[in-house]
Amino acid sequence: MGPRWKRKGAEAKALADPMSKIVSDLRTSLMLSNSQGILSGRSVLLGADAAQTELLSRACFGQPIITAEKDIQWFELSMEEGFYLCYSLRCIKIVGEDKRVKDEQQVWKYMTSKWVAFPVFFKAYSHLRMKNWVVRSGSQYGVDFVAYRHHPSLVHSEYAVLVLSKESGDANGRLRVWSDFHCTLRLCGSVAKTLLAINIDSAGKGVTSPSCLDSYEVEERTVTRWTPEECRENQIVVENRTK
Amino acid sequence: MEVEDWASSTGGTSDSEISVQDSNDGEHCHISGDIPKLQYRSIKSKARWNDELGLAEIVEKKGRMWTTTGIVRGGNIYCSLEETLFLAQEGALQLSDDDNLCLTLEEIYKMVGQRKYGGCWESFQVYRHMKSLGYIVGRHDLPWTIKRVKSDPNSLEGIPEANLMKNRGQEDANSMIELLNSLRINNLRPVFDVYPPNSKFKKSSPGNPSYVLCLLSDHPPSNPEIEDLERHCNGVPLKFCHVDHGRVSYFSFDKVELHILP
Repeated sequence: MGPRWKRKGAEAKALADPMSKIVSDLRTSLMLSNSQGILSGRSVLLGADAAQTELLSRACFGQPIITAEKDIQWFELSMEEGFYLCYSLRCIKIVGEDKRVKDEQQVWKYMTSKWVAFPVFFKAYSHLRMKNWVVRSGSQYGVDFVAYRHHPSLVHSEYAVLVLSKESGDANGRLRVWSDFHCTLRLCGSVAKTLLAINIDSAGKGVTSPSCLDSYEVEERTVTRWTPEECRENQIVVENRTK
Repeated sequence: MEVEDWASSTGGTSDSEISVQDSNDGEHCHISGDIPKLQYRSIKSKARWNDELGLAEIVEKKGRMWTTTGIVRGGNIYCSLEETLFLAQEGALQLSDDDNLCLTLEEIYKMVGQRKYGGCWESFQVYRHMKSLGYIVGRHDLPWTIKRVKSDPNSLEGIPEANLMKNRGQEDANSMIELLNSLRINNLRPVFDVYPPNSKFKKSSPGNPSYVLCLLSDHPPSNPEIEDLERHCNGVPLKFCHVDHGRVSYFSFDKVELHILP
């Protein structure tokens, strides 16, 4: 399944506006204003000026929070998004519940304590983001993430992503029984997405610090249905052509 | 881009469900009058079941399916249990036992249930489905033929059929028994080599299979299991089969690398 662009000119628009540049501009803007995110539960709250608001929207980070405040637009970032801006892009600092800025190690400790599977999920998220895919929550489709080739206003997401981990015997316990397997695959098919299983091997490196992530191995596999009926027809056609 | 615009086009909510006409949809419920019957054939091949080998030896060949069915050993064709049952179900093969008594379909079904001969009901379902689509299907790692050097003292020329098994130096027979017995039922194993429909198929040089089919039972395959099989199959694409209530589903777990986007 290739990319499904949402309207005429969408593909051209995406090509003219590469995601890598949008993210790079966002990074620069946040660094220049010494932006700080606020840790709250499993979210990071980030205040943005007008330019940053536009960049955050174009790069698809976070959900806008509707408030009456005029000068600052508040965004709610997921842990993966917050940590990506803080650790991978190094463009925001994060402030804890004690109102003090936390270093990366402290943020990591906080996040891993809130969510045991955070390391593998973050690894999968950052793996795709670093390739300039737009990665959003997949809960509407019963998966972990959905991945878009560019902004969701331009293109439908191509991949429904599940994060599987070798070490903890598959972190989220998905695709372990047939009913779940069939269910997930059917749902993905009905919304025209390919199921992508991202297998993370933490190679025994543990979770003590974010630098462990560098040693994690990532393998991508698509899970698709095969129809021998169609396949055979294609092969017969090929044979006939070469006669 | 305005926040409002962006919020309304948040990924996901605008993805409409595409209703895919599911060709397998609906229950597999038949009204008794509707159940089709295969046409009775008056021309049947004949075979004798060899219990020690776990194979049927073809005694009388009729029809053109023999270029793509059965393994050749010493000038004779031997069929696995699934090949035998497939042909018997079609009415194209008459199977008898060592005492030349005709084996009924019921008796052959029971043989499948015994799981002694390297197959099982589920693997038969896979075989049957693929064959009915026209594919050429052989047991994984069981060669279609074994080439022999002419000066080989164990050469079969001039050896009467009755002594065939013994005079083969036992190694051939043993290796076949070993292979069949080694196909133990566990969660995941390669079962069939599949070739595309081909009227010019030659058992003496079949080439590489298009796919190796692996049969799954308890649970979907884990990543380590998939990797083990890929190593074993050396580059031949794998397809994974799951049989459930008479329905065979096939899956691929292809390694990919999403492109780095601009």
